[in-house]
Amino acid sequence: MMFLTQLRGELTKLFARRRTYVGYGVFLVFELILLVTFQIDSVRSQQEDFMVQNGLAADKYFSSLTVTFMVMAFSLFLLGSIYFALVSGDIVAKEVEDGNMRMVLARPISRFRILLLKFISVCLYTITFVIFVGITGYAMAVIALGVDGGMMAFSPKMKLFAVYPEWGPGMLRLVIAALLIGVSMCTISAVGFLFSCMKMKPATATIMALSVLFLDMVLQEFPIFKPYEANFITYKMSSWLFAFENHFPWAKLADNFVFLIGLDLSLFAIACVIFQMRDFKT
Amino acid sequence: MMLEIEGLKKKFAGKPALREVGFSVKEGEVFGLLGHNGAGKSTTLGILLGMVAPDAGETKIDGISVQKNRSDALKKVGAIFESPGFYDYLSGYRNLQLLTSYSGGVTNAAIDDVVRRVEMDDRIHSKVGTYSHGMRQRLALAQALLPEPKVLLLDEPTDGLDPEGIKWFRDFILGLREERGMTVLFNSHLLAEVEQMCDRVVILQEGQKVFEGGSADLEEDHLVLSFEVEPPELRQELAEEFGGSLRENKLVLPKDFDPAQAVKRAVEKGGQVREVRRVKRSLEDLYLEFSRKVSR
Repeated sequence: MMFLTQLRGELTKLFARRRTYVGYGVFLVFELILLVTFQIDSVRSQQEDFMVQNGLAADKYFSSLTVTFMVMAFSLFLLGSIYFALVSGDIVAKEVEDGNMRMVLARPISRFRILLLKFISVCLYTITFVIFVGITGYAMAVIALGVDGGMMAFSPKMKLFAVYPEWGPGMLRLVIAALLIGVSMCTISAVGFLFSCMKMKPATATIMALSVLFLDMVLQEFPIFKPYEANFITYKMSSWLFAFENHFPWAKLADNFVFLIGLDLSLFAIACVIFQMRDFKT
Repeated sequence: MMLEIEGLKKKFAGKPALREVGFSVKEGEVFGLLGHNGAGKSTTLGILLGMVAPDAGETKIDGISVQKNRSDALKKVGAIFESPGFYDYLSGYRNLQLLTSYSGGVTNAAIDDVVRRVEMDDRIHSKVGTYSHGMRQRLALAQALLPEPKVLLLDEPTDGLDPEGIKWFRDFILGLREERGMTVLFNSHLLAEVEQMCDRVVILQEGQKVFEGGSADLEEDHLVLSFEVEPPELRQELAEEFGGSLRENKLVLPKDFDPAQAVKRAVEKGGQVREVRRVKRSLEDLYLEFSRKVSR
């Protein structure tokens, strides 16, 4: 019970800060831009041509579900990672910088518990953010294109091309995918959290987290590393796309997500050790 | 003993911050930890709160080792820092709820009661970012009093407060001792504050304990002779000759110095002695004397 009260307090702190909402605002603007863009005939016909070339009826598959998929697939990783790194990089380092942490550490609570509360909070933020993007993205797509239609999911990098002629199965896969993206994105938050627990400024922790992820992304594109790309963190983070495969790939998803969750927990454990060893003084 | 500090040693980046510091504080005592910046006061307090790990030594609060069982040791401790780090974007009340949630067992009624006692009722629901320094310190005091501590650890709490605020704070702390027999460790470089508030004092100088005793002992043991001598240049000359110091246009000499000899020497040098009197040496004199000793 006390843990839940403390968690609620931690979430209050997180969601009472204006900075936390920057990402929400940016995504709403981004989705609005897409909404307007898809009203432009040339853009619309370009998308429809792509579907026709793949043997799909454009009027059926250029739908709210497909647009939601595109929003989530092409924006969350690059744009969302900035906000996940920002919030997770801040979560400990900012409190240390502002002197809040000393006030907390003067209380009879273990450092592990403080970090556990913060880590859970940052994961909840990440997952709810992804769900928010999914819901608002879908809502805007519905305003632009209506509810009906199937879904086309594609990703050249992950060698994915899948179609769902009916709304129901398409929506189900979209919901599963949204939850999996949330879990994937927790890895960005875990990296940011690790740096946040080190003796550095919040902005530095954010930049370090983004550097690690972009370095991972860039390295796997090098020809020398291409054969091993499936072992890179960001590749595994993209494995949520497999959820759209027509035969649900349980084993493949389990393999990738066990790795990601294990990585997150390992980063949390390292963060705890680093934080435990730190001295906090004026 | 309510607080036991034994053989504390700590280095930061190879530089000693504490060199085997030890002292103890009895239950109900107001104890002063005095020293200049970098003397080791905050480090000592940090170790007492488990925020800093000592290289050697141990601290106990009410018999419980902070280093071995921090959470239990801190259950009856309230702490205030010089610049308390509140969540500026939340109200004072929400800050109290958040901070006390880490201790547990604090009801809203208890918070309301403490808020009334620190006279913050009218502003407690405003955002902390709008508070003055004095209000922040009162809020810090409120959080330190929740839930019902037996020990208060104060890290330079009156720094930056106006005289009225300092007096209010001092009276409040002394009132707590009267009412509840609370033990207080008061960490400060404001010498007058320590003199007025504390029963006993430890002076730290570059990480070493250079004095431990009662405030009254200090005053009684260190009477000095104050000479008002003209011309002014002669004061400096005599100070150097007799090992004294200059304070407020007066020559201050050690208490065991023969006043007759001092007067004779001043007259020989063509000076005029206007006043000779015995004065109590303040803690400030003592502190400055230790500073000089160490710098030599």
